[in-house]
Amino acid sequence: MTDQRLVGRTYETQPFDVTEQSIRAYMDAVGDTRSSDPLEAPPTYAMVYGYDAYWQLWSDHEVAMDVARLVHGDQRFTFHRPVRPGDRIRTTGRLANVTVRGEMELVTFEANARDDQGQPVSESTSLFIIRKP
Amino acid sequence: MSTTAALLYEAVEVGQALPSLRKRVTVEQIRAYAEASADRNPIHLDEGFARSVGLPGVIAHGMLTMAFANQMVTDWLGDRSRLKRLDGRFGGMVQPGDEVTCTGTVARNDEAARRVIVNLVVTNQRGEKVLTKGVAEAEFPKNEPLK
Repeated sequence: MTDQRLVGRTYETQPFDVTEQSIRAYMDAVGDTRSSDPLEAPPTYAMVYGYDAYWQLWSDHEVAMDVARLVHGDQRFTFHRPVRPGDRIRTTGRLANVTVRGEMELVTFEANARDDQGQPVSESTSLFIIRKP
Repeated sequence: MSTTAALLYEAVEVGQALPSLRKRVTVEQIRAYAEASADRNPIHLDEGFARSVGLPGVIAHGMLTMAFANQMVTDWLGDRSRLKRLDGRFGGMVQPGDEVTCTGTVARNDEAARRVIVNLVVTNQRGEKVLTKGVAEAEFPKNEPLK
């Protein structure tokens, strides 16, 4: 069980340098290969440039989430602008809430992504469900 | 696929169905998604591990399903930069071999803001909903170029 006192903890990523190669690998993986000029990442690529924030949460030994029993329950995104090769994006993650529902633990995580001008790129709210053994 | 012309706001009607998108999920696609996203949780990659933690086998990343819903909407819009919001609840697990279908309906529009709200759902081949409460919001340019 995650300690309630850890709610509010934040996680900063290193700058993520968006490349054409990374966008195209994502597009190929999900099968969304429609080209555009200039190349713009599918909006859900937010999970790629922000991944390190999620990883820091999942590997935080004090939060101690059992990631083998983690399922993604709910996801919300707001997109402020398209993401293109050359963008440099930092994401701040925040452990926003922890609740228990029956045998499950529900963890809410927010991620705010900004470009190197400090302008908002996207916001994400994820609900992770930790199934009990 | 090549670049397509963007949808005009005037062509959108409440109640209109979006062209559906069907995807067959494979082990190879889940592996490719794990590599592209860096999310290499073994529940997505290791059959034995997935079973050991009570799953029926490896499962697809929820975000892969959401990427399909994203694609259906942006294929319809013809312009990825117009998607401003995307929400969904992962109502069921997706496993290799599953065929999922994304469907969407225009729920309402906001003439002044030139925004359109679409309700989305993703179902599997058994008709079970794997993504529910899906909502996408798109914003159209104020002055669209005449074709």
